[in-house]
Amino acid sequence: MLDIRLRPEEKAALTLRSLYEGRGFAFYRMSRFEEYDFYADKKDFLTSKRILTFTDTNGKLMALRPDVTLSIVRHAKNLSGVQKFYYDEKVYRVPKNSDSFREISQAGIECVGALTGENIREVLELALLSLKTVAEGRKFVLDVAHAGMVAELLKDNRDRQAILKCIAEKNIHGLKALGAPGKIIDLMETDAKIFSVLDGDTANIINSLGEYHDELRVDFSAVSNLNYYNGLVFRGFIEGIPEGILSGGQYDGLMKLMNREDTRAIGFAVYLDLVGSETND
Amino acid sequence: MINIALPKGRLGEKVYKLFAAAGYEFAGMLDNSRRLVFENKELDMRCFWVKPFDVPVYVERGTADIGAAGKDILMERSPDVYELLDLKAGACRMAVAARNDFREDTEKILRVATEFPNIARSYYSGLGREIDIITLRGSLELAPVLGLSDVIVDIVETGTTLRENNLSVLTYIADLSARLIANKAAYKFKGEVIDEIMRRLER
Repeated sequence: MLDIRLRPEEKAALTLRSLYEGRGFAFYRMSRFEEYDFYADKKDFLTSKRILTFTDTNGKLMALRPDVTLSIVRHAKNLSGVQKFYYDEKVYRVPKNSDSFREISQAGIECVGALTGENIREVLELALLSLKTVAEGRKFVLDVAHAGMVAELLKDNRDRQAILKCIAEKNIHGLKALGAPGKIIDLMETDAKIFSVLDGDTANIINSLGEYHDELRVDFSAVSNLNYYNGLVFRGFIEGIPEGILSGGQYDGLMKLMNREDTRAIGFAVYLDLVGSETND
Repeated sequence: MINIALPKGRLGEKVYKLFAAAGYEFAGMLDNSRRLVFENKELDMRCFWVKPFDVPVYVERGTADIGAAGKDILMERSPDVYELLDLKAGACRMAVAARNDFREDTEKILRVATEFPNIARSYYSGLGREIDIITLRGSLELAPVLGLSDVIVDIVETGTTLRENNLSVLTYIADLSARLIANKAAYKFKGEVIDEIMRRLER
């Protein structure tokens, strides 16, 4: 055993890696650079639209990876069976409300293929276990919702973007002023413990995670980007950390974009830079 | 402990009176002193005055669990927070105004003076109109009068200042008032207390 003192985010990263490894997920190491064209037509699936680019010696426009998911999915899409990968990487993005690029540490998992309910359950369970690991005894919460239900209710709605913004803000007065569908407002006002408002499959999965019923909550403000997620979405919080530390969901749309309509995908990321960013209270 | 950020100034005083009427009093808040932080040990709450434009920053970063901010400032900064309640205090509107004799020349880039560049940009990009933004820090009415800009995007309360300067409203962009906002993570763990504050303020 090496005798070295780890920083909190390093320790968290290693603990998460051993958690994912123990569940049979394979480590995915990606290259730092990808061709820019690879990202250019998949911008809906990037958290930040801005990409750090440079010209390689052969004149090709290259990008410093803004994201890990896209690369894993490209690697996994033509493999048979259900592919399970985890990663622990740095990505390069412009964070919200910032105007310069930053190196951001992320760990997470992706599960790609003909997913069964059991696969989805496992990803959700690992999200909860990841939070528990990083929380180290503090309280944590995993908000769950279903992006597909919202997409269905907002089909052909011309105020779609404005309504989605109000959903993410829990802005009920704003939804009412926009004349949003009553069913959307009902979903927003649902008691956090009534899992049956979610579709049958999702509700069953959540019910099977009985030991986490205190931490699991239905909260539709977790739905913000319908271009990315199409099914289950979830967002994790740890007491004392001022923003969401885990974010994930089902993103079959990306598989469609990669011409694999028969394939589904689900995953999440843990934002390791936030470990150790506690507010003093 | 719940930390509350209120905007220093007229709007903040109105909002504080709502809090006090709902049973959340902080001794000395309305005295004209230089103190900025006030604590009520019994309620286990702390309240502080910050610059109105900074309220969303304190809340987004979790220094304050909740706060009150004008909708204009929320639209301008678009912070990642929950907007839980329309407090209805300080109701006014965001408007586009110009000189009474203004006729828009669509062949030219429109010069827009404003204190709210993001709101102006998003409004005109929605119309597909190319604009030149001139960011000013007040006395907006002067800009079209002196020919610095064609129009202004500004807050209009009664319209008196506009009239006195021979300006008039072309369009209203949004209804404004103070809103109760909350840090997303704080709401997960202090949600019961925050919901109670919301219920009492709503009455």
